[in-house]
Amino acid sequence: MAAEDVYRQEFPVKGGDFAKAGTVACRIKELLKDLGLDVKTVRRAAIAAYEAEMNVIMYAWQGRMDLAVSPQEVRITVDDQGPGIADIELAMTEGYSTATPELRELGFGAGMGLPNIKRNSDVFHVDSQTGQGTRLEIIIRTNGYKP
Amino acid sequence: MKEKNFHSIHITKDKCIGCVHCLTACPTRAIRVRDGKAQIIDELCIDCGECLRVCPYDAVHSHTTSFAALDAFEYKVAIPSTVLYGQFGAANLPTEILSALRRGGFNEVYDLSSICELNCAAVEEYLNEHPRPRPFITATCPVVVRLIQGRYPALCGQILPIEPPREIAAKILRTILPKALNLAPEKIGIIHITPCPAKMVSINSPATLNKSYLDGAISIRDIYPQILNALRKSQEDALMRHLFPETQFSGIGMGWSLSGGETRGLKNHRAVAVSGIQDTMRVLDQVEAGLLQDIDLLECTVCPDGCVGGPLEVENRFLAKSRILQLVAAAGERAVVDPKDVSRLYHKNFLSFDHPVSPVESRPLDRDPAKAIRKAKRREKIFAGLPRKDCGVCGAPDCWTLADDVVRGLAHVDDCPFVKKEKR
Repeated sequence: MAAEDVYRQEFPVKGGDFAKAGTVACRIKELLKDLGLDVKTVRRAAIAAYEAEMNVIMYAWQGRMDLAVSPQEVRITVDDQGPGIADIELAMTEGYSTATPELRELGFGAGMGLPNIKRNSDVFHVDSQTGQGTRLEIIIRTNGYKP
Repeated sequence: MKEKNFHSIHITKDKCIGCVHCLTACPTRAIRVRDGKAQIIDELCIDCGECLRVCPYDAVHSHTTSFAALDAFEYKVAIPSTVLYGQFGAANLPTEILSALRRGGFNEVYDLSSICELNCAAVEEYLNEHPRPRPFITATCPVVVRLIQGRYPALCGQILPIEPPREIAAKILRTILPKALNLAPEKIGIIHITPCPAKMVSINSPATLNKSYLDGAISIRDIYPQILNALRKSQEDALMRHLFPETQFSGIGMGWSLSGGETRGLKNHRAVAVSGIQDTMRVLDQVEAGLLQDIDLLECTVCPDGCVGGPLEVENRFLAKSRILQLVAAAGERAVVDPKDVSRLYHKNFLSFDHPVSPVESRPLDRDPAKAIRKAKRREKIFAGLPRKDCGVCGAPDCWTLADDVVRGLAHVDDCPFVKKEKR
């Protein structure tokens, strides 16, 4: 795929910045709408991006979300410096969460984050090093593109 | 009469001086100043009336039904928004206000509070029968419906498909009156009295009905003087009041026009009420990101504090709100609707939409995604060269929108006074 056919943008995300929660996901959503992607793809990407952004805000120190959009797919790569995930398989279980009681009191940490991203993407990879950070790779294939 | 892109909001060119008040107030960035006059982009306008609120020159006009148009009907019926009860101070009771409205030129006037209660009961029944999706969003505010169709198309299926009270009331009257009066249906005019320009849009091009059951909407602003005059003849009015049977106002429906009023009567469901255009958009963004799924019903009204903050009311909204709260307290939890009637109408689909809300066509940078991607990149580049002062002098509300207009071929970078200056 030619480089000029890919739209790239990167968004920094700061750990603990709850006041800005959701702003990156929202900007990604607006962008995808401008690019004319179909409603379903935009919604799936918005949900996946929101969950990924919240994971960085809730657990990591800092992170970055890279968006790459081509007519065929939306790719969101999330890199964070943070505690990492000790047992990825366990973290992918619905309802499993390491959120603190304080976070839970705020309504976060229901243990639906990673499974929800998986549900809303076509390809999902999690890579993590305990004590260093986590990398998520999310791919959502568009279905509204007719060349 | 179903018009595509009908709008209630218009700019009166003679009065517009091309300043930036409406530009920056518009939540969908639908206004541009071209050749010294404000222009509204049809596909983007949701008729919220924010521009009407801020225009210092009275150049934003809302098209509502005129009194002259009522002459077309032999029998005229008014169903005023319950906001009307808050417009005339504490000395005037709802019954007196309705009676004064009747004498202002209607054959009959009906209270909407009971229908509000009926709507709430029907919504409860719908929520009971439909455990998913969550949250459902109420369909009362026509601007919210437009907003969802245009900006949140994925949420169209979450709009709860029960018609708002004004349409239900009109439908009931439309069914009963022709027989009761022995008059042809087209000779009966059913008119809403409204604090909101967007009701006119939902009447002329309804999003959920094949045809609206209402014939028009008169703004509270326009009819206020007539009601006030009639109220001033207070002695006669006091006598008049005894001639008409006492209206049974619903305690549950009375507060409908206040934010939270639509959902106050829900017994078994968790509801959240949001008001104001910016907050509504913030919450709808969250719903689109998959949040708020533990909420059953989301009540959104784009006017501050609910319909009571509508741009076409007369009394300031804080006084109106205080008066309506008094009336709510006085009416208490009084229910006037028989639950069996609600259930019967509900199961006959009498209260339902004719068709679901469908998204309106979106406005991507280009229909071809490959071209759209190139344009998005160009937009970034152009934006990086703009001063980010969002001054509005170029005619667009902010620098980002100018960059967007440029790649769509609707404006030129040189429209920016700062860019020009640097080039010289």
